[in-house]
Amino acid sequence: MRIPNPAPVSVLIVLMSFITPPLRAEEPPSQPSGPLPTETSCFNCHSQLDGAALEPTVRAAEDIHFQKGLSCQDCHGGDPTAMDDMDASHNPKKGWTGKPDRLHIPEFCAKCHSDATFMKQFNPRARVDQLSEYRTSVHGQKNAKGDGEVAVCIDCHQVHGIRAISDPRSPVYPTNVAQTCAHCHADAKKMDPYGIPTNQLADYKTSVHFHAISVEGDLAAPTCNDCHGSHGAAPPGVDNVTSVCGTCHPREATLFRETEAKKKMDLSPCIRCMVCHSNHAVLAPKDDMLGVGTTSTCTGCHAEGDNGYAAAGKMAQSIETLKGGLAKANALLDQAERAGMEVSEDRFALQKAKDGLVESRVLAHSFDLDRFLAAANGGIAATDAGVVAAKKAFAELRFRRVGLGLSLLVILAVILALAMKVKELGARPRV
Amino acid sequence: MSVGGAGRLGRILDWLEERAGWSFLVDLGKKKQVPLHRHSLWYYLGGMTLFLFGLQVATGILLLLYYRASAEEAFESVQFIMAKVPFGWLIRSIHSWSANLLIFVLFVHMFSVFFMKAFRKPRELTWISGMCLLFLMLGFGFSGYLLPWNKLAFFATQVGTDIAGAVPVIGHFALRFLRGGEQVTGGTLTRFYGFHVAVLPALTTALVGLHLLLVQKHGMSVPPSIEAQRKAGGEEAKSMSFWPHFLLRDAIGWCAALGVLAALAALFPWELGEKADPFAPAPAGIRPEWYFGWMFQTLKYLPAHILGIEGELLGILGIGLAAMIWVFIPFLDRNPAPGNPVSRLFTLAGWLALAYMAVMTAMVYLPQGH
Repeated sequence: MRIPNPAPVSVLIVLMSFITPPLRAEEPPSQPSGPLPTETSCFNCHSQLDGAALEPTVRAAEDIHFQKGLSCQDCHGGDPTAMDDMDASHNPKKGWTGKPDRLHIPEFCAKCHSDATFMKQFNPRARVDQLSEYRTSVHGQKNAKGDGEVAVCIDCHQVHGIRAISDPRSPVYPTNVAQTCAHCHADAKKMDPYGIPTNQLADYKTSVHFHAISVEGDLAAPTCNDCHGSHGAAPPGVDNVTSVCGTCHPREATLFRETEAKKKMDLSPCIRCMVCHSNHAVLAPKDDMLGVGTTSTCTGCHAEGDNGYAAAGKMAQSIETLKGGLAKANALLDQAERAGMEVSEDRFALQKAKDGLVESRVLAHSFDLDRFLAAANGGIAATDAGVVAAKKAFAELRFRRVGLGLSLLVILAVILALAMKVKELGARPRV
Repeated sequence: MSVGGAGRLGRILDWLEERAGWSFLVDLGKKKQVPLHRHSLWYYLGGMTLFLFGLQVATGILLLLYYRASAEEAFESVQFIMAKVPFGWLIRSIHSWSANLLIFVLFVHMFSVFFMKAFRKPRELTWISGMCLLFLMLGFGFSGYLLPWNKLAFFATQVGTDIAGAVPVIGHFALRFLRGGEQVTGGTLTRFYGFHVAVLPALTTALVGLHLLLVQKHGMSVPPSIEAQRKAGGEEAKSMSFWPHFLLRDAIGWCAALGVLAALAALFPWELGEKADPFAPAPAGIRPEWYFGWMFQTLKYLPAHILGIEGELLGILGIGLAAMIWVFIPFLDRNPAPGNPVSRLFTLAGWLALAYMAVMTAMVYLPQGH
C-alpha cells in the first residue's frame, strides 16, 4: 500500500486552521451549547464563592438567558466542562474573555442581540437594532467618546438576573421605567457633571400620564421611553415635540400642523405642546386652560388687545356656554324622565352636543377660531334642541295631568249618574 | 210588540229584534238573580275580571297596530308607541297596568270563591274552568312580559324558561318549545308573540264562554254558612235581578277601575327600560313579575339538595303538586258544611296558602340581604 505524502495534508491543516478563526467570546454561539447552566464548572465554582464572585449565581434562575438555556460561557467564553480547574475553565484559548469593561458592555450584549439569525432562535420578532439605536442616543454618543459613567445595557436591564421586558418585575416593564431612569436622572451627583436637572421623576409623578399608568394600570399610557425612546434615548428637540406628543395625540398634532400650513407660518417654538401642557408634569387638561382667566395658558403669550387674546376669550366663552347648555338639557331631560316621560330619543340627540364639546376641545389645538366655533356652535345648537325637547316633554306632562283630571271628572260624573240610576230604580228588589 | 222603546234607537232595536231576536239576553238578565247577603260584594270580582280582560283585548289590538315582533324592532317599536304615537303611552300603560290589576283581581276572585266554598257540587267544572283561566292569564303575563324586548324581561324570561326546563322528563322539551331553541333569542320573541296574540286569546275566549255558561246555568253560589243561617232562622233567601240592578252596580265598579287605571297610566307610565342585549351580563336583581314572585322566592330559598334530590326540582314538583290539589279541590273538599272539620281544615289550608304567597311575594321586594 502506498503511503501518502504527509506534507500536503499538513499544509492543508495549517491553512484551514489559519483561515478558521478560533471561537471567540465576541462571536455569538450558534445555539445554546454545553452542559445545563447549573451543571457548568462556572456555576459549580461560583456558587461556592463569596461576594461579587458569588453574585452571578444568586439570581441566575430569574435570568431570561438562563431560562432559555444559555449559560455563562455563552457570554463569557471558557470551558464549562473543566470542573475544579480554574485555569482550564478560564482558558483564553477556549474563548474566555472574563468580565467586560463597562465601556464595552453595549458591544458585549450586541454580539447576540444584533444577530438576527441568532435571535430568531428565541423570538422570530426579536429586535436586533438596540446597539445602532443606542449609538444615536446621548448615552451611546457619550459612551462612544469614552464616557464610562453614562448608562449602558446593564444599568437599565440589570446584570445576571435579567428578566424579560414583559415581566412586571423587570426594571424596564412600563410601570417601572420611570423609577429605573430616575435611578440616575434623579441623582444630583450623577447629573451635575452633565448639567441636567433632576426633577423629572417628581414632575412626572404629578402628571396625568403617571396617574394613568400607575394608578389606573393603563400600560398604554406613556412613561419616559415613550417620548424619549428607549435604547435611542434623547431629549426631543423643540421641533420634534409635536411629533412626540402626536404619536398618541394624532388629532391634535394634525390640527396643529394644518394651521401652520394653512397660515403659512412657523408656530414653533412659541406654541409647541409643552408651552401649555408642560413636559414631564403634563396635568390633566382642563377647560380653564383656555381663555383669558388667571388659570389660562393663552395669556402666557397673548396680551389684551391682540387677536389671539380675543380669540382665546371667545373660545372659552363658547366652551362654557356649551357646557352650561349641556348640563341644563341633561338636568331637564332627567327631570322629564323621572316624571315618566319617554325622552330616550332626545337624550340620544343630545349626544351631538357632547360630541361638539369633545370636538371643540380638540379643535382648540388648531388655533383656528372659525373651525373651533363651527364645532362649538353645533354643540350649542344641540343643547338648545335638548332644552326645547325637555320643555316639550313637560308640556306633554301637563297635558296628561290636565287630561287625567278631566277624564276623572267624566268618570266621576258617569259613576254619579249610575248611582242615581241605581237609586232611582229603588231598593233592591227582593224575591 | 216593541222591545226597543220609543225614538230612533228604539226603531233600530226593534229592527234588530225582528231579525236577531236579541231580547232574550234582556230576559236572561232579568231572570238571572244575584243572591244578597253579607258576602255579596265578592260577586262583583268576576265581572271586574271580565271587564279588565275586555280592556286588555281592546288596548292589545291597538298596540298591535304599531308593535313589531322581532328582536331588531320590538324595543324600538314600543319606544315609538311611547314617544310618537298619539296617546300611545296611554294605551301601553293601561295595557300593562290593567294586566297586573287583572291578575290581582283574578287571585282575589279565586280566593273568594274558595273561601265561600262556591266550588262545591254542582259547580266543580266552573271552578276548574276558572283555574284554567287563571293559568291562561299567567301565560299572558309571562309571554307579554318579553314582548318589549328589554333587558329585564329578557333575563327574567331566561330564568323563567330555565325553571320550566328543570321539570323532570318533559323539562328539556318544554324549554325548547318555549324558547324555540336552546337559548332565548329573537325566535323566542316571535313565539311568545304568537302565544300572546293568537293561541292564548283563542283558548281564553273559549274558556270564558264555558265559564260564563256554567255560571249562568248554575247561578251564583250562596256560602254554606249563609245557607245554614237562613235554614236555621227560617229566613227567605234574598236576591236582586242581574239586569239592571246588579249590572248597574257592576258598571260603577268598572268606571272606578277605569279611573284608577287612567291615573296610574298618567302618573306612572309603564317603564320601557333598556333594550335587551343577549351578550351583556345579567343585571343584578332579576326578578319575575310580582305574581310569579312567591314561586321564584320559594325556589330561591330551597337548599341545593334535599335528601339527595335537587332542591329546585323538588320545589317545582311541590308547587306543581300544590297546584294540582288546588285545581281538584272540589273533589277533595266534598262536604263543605259549616260544621264539617275536614272542610274547616281545607279552609285553614287556604288561609295558610294565602299567607305564604303574600309573605313570599313581599320577600321578593325586600332589600337584598334581608
